[in-house]
Amino acid sequence: MKKIKIRINNLNCFYKKKPVLKDLKGEMEEKAITTIIGPSGVGKTTLLMAINRLYESIPDCRVEGKVEIKLNTKYIDIHKLPVTDLRKKVGMVFQVPNPLPMSIFKNIAFPLKLSGIKDKEYIKEKVEQALKDAFLWDEVNDRLNDSALELSGGQQQRLCIARAMIMQPEVLLLDEPTSSLDMEAALKITELLKNLKGKCTLLVVSHYTSLTKEISDNVLTLKDGCLKITENSKIVDESSVAN
Amino acid sequence: MNRFVEYQIKLFCWISGIILICTIGILLAFLLHKGFSSLNLPLIFGETRPLDGLFLKTRVVDGLFPAIVGTLLLILTSIIWAIPTGVAAGIYLAEYCNEKWKPGFNLLLDILAGIPSILIGLFGFAVSVFLHKHLSEHIYPCFLISSLALACLVLPYIIRTTEQSLVNLPFFIKTTGLALGASRLQNILLILIPYNLSRIISGIILAIGRCAEDAAVIMLTGAVAMAGIPDSLLSRYEALPFYIFYISSDYNSQEELMKGFGACIILLLICVFLFALSHILKRRAAKRFAIHI
Repeated sequence: MKKIKIRINNLNCFYKKKPVLKDLKGEMEEKAITTIIGPSGVGKTTLLMAINRLYESIPDCRVEGKVEIKLNTKYIDIHKLPVTDLRKKVGMVFQVPNPLPMSIFKNIAFPLKLSGIKDKEYIKEKVEQALKDAFLWDEVNDRLNDSALELSGGQQQRLCIARAMIMQPEVLLLDEPTSSLDMEAALKITELLKNLKGKCTLLVVSHYTSLTKEISDNVLTLKDGCLKITENSKIVDESSVAN
Repeated sequence: MNRFVEYQIKLFCWISGIILICTIGILLAFLLHKGFSSLNLPLIFGETRPLDGLFLKTRVVDGLFPAIVGTLLLILTSIIWAIPTGVAAGIYLAEYCNEKWKPGFNLLLDILAGIPSILIGLFGFAVSVFLHKHLSEHIYPCFLISSLALACLVLPYIIRTTEQSLVNLPFFIKTTGLALGASRLQNILLILIPYNLSRIISGIILAIGRCAEDAAVIMLTGAVAMAGIPDSLLSRYEALPFYIFYISSDYNSQEELMKGFGACIILLLICVFLFALSHILKRRAAKRFAIHI
């Protein structure tokens, strides 16, 4: 029997007064990769932002309904958790790589700094491990103090994944992580995501059939405000996913 | 668009640029032609020995030294009042202000930006009269009132540049820190402000220029002709813009008028120096945070 990490019940989301998600219901499996597909503008990114409450940063965006996350053995309503604690447990990687304007090392160590960790040796170890997990260590270990903005797009995205993973979140949300990258960089991200399977629960929004088929344990289609389970074999081609 | 119309617009833009450059060139040439000959140490230190004047051993009575020091101190003090207040107000408007209140705040800010400086000066003067009557008889128009009035004058520049630079950041940058578990304040202090430092400095550069040139505010709030270097915040003081206004409207000889032109060049040099300093800081901030300016 599948273990469920996230439960969504009657989730409604509105931008100004326009409904984006209507009475959404769904479940996401623990320590598996769940991919969300669906037409453009259907609210896939909004769904991700509802799970880590990032929608609260958008003026005029309102969410109703229940999103529960399993922490230890209990399901807890995300709105009952302090928002900073929730976001440390539910990390997010955006479509466009967004390294901070600081060195590679400081970028990765940034979440530790936010948590008030000051032990330099511990930070160093964690940064090294995070970079190794993101297959980035070999490429940057001799220039950790260089600006992260000097890395290529693919490297920046892997850095963002490493940065999100350093706090060992229980859930990682990825919003079209390969869409702004070339084929080679996208392949590396795909490998990285496969490697993360089993370590935490991954929720990926993707338009790419190849990525969806290769990495997904479960595929959910978001259409007309409803979340439906789609079998991997039924994902036909890029156009059916995108449109 | 018709090619002829396009050509005409391009030509108009060129002519506008050339007019601007020529105006600045003519103004500088005029100032240098009139005032360059009077630029010498006696203009700054009068009959006092320069080193004695510089180290405040002897009071400079007939030179511009007290006015130069007064101007620099006034700019510095006004900016010290204006930067924290302006940046904080800009952050409030961009990050915390309720959307319903925002148009009201913006209207007030636009009104403040549009108030003529003479009115700000008059307000400063009224405040000093009020304080003299109700708080202490020792309070008159003074350096403190001038610097606070000037800070009010330049606040809109700093508030607006801070607010706009924060508002115009892309969503994925604004939320980078938040998505990593930063609190709103951590996100502002550790990410948004460093990202926007060079743009905020642009607002400060504008504010410095305005502080340096304004005569209307200071003539009503404490600047006088022969006060010397201010020894406290409650002292009267001398400043170059006031000296230039005073000498150009009330000169007794051609020599005095030439000294006024010399004062203009010195004020211009002070502005250039402060602008250069701010630009260096801006470039360093932009380089450090890899933002193109």
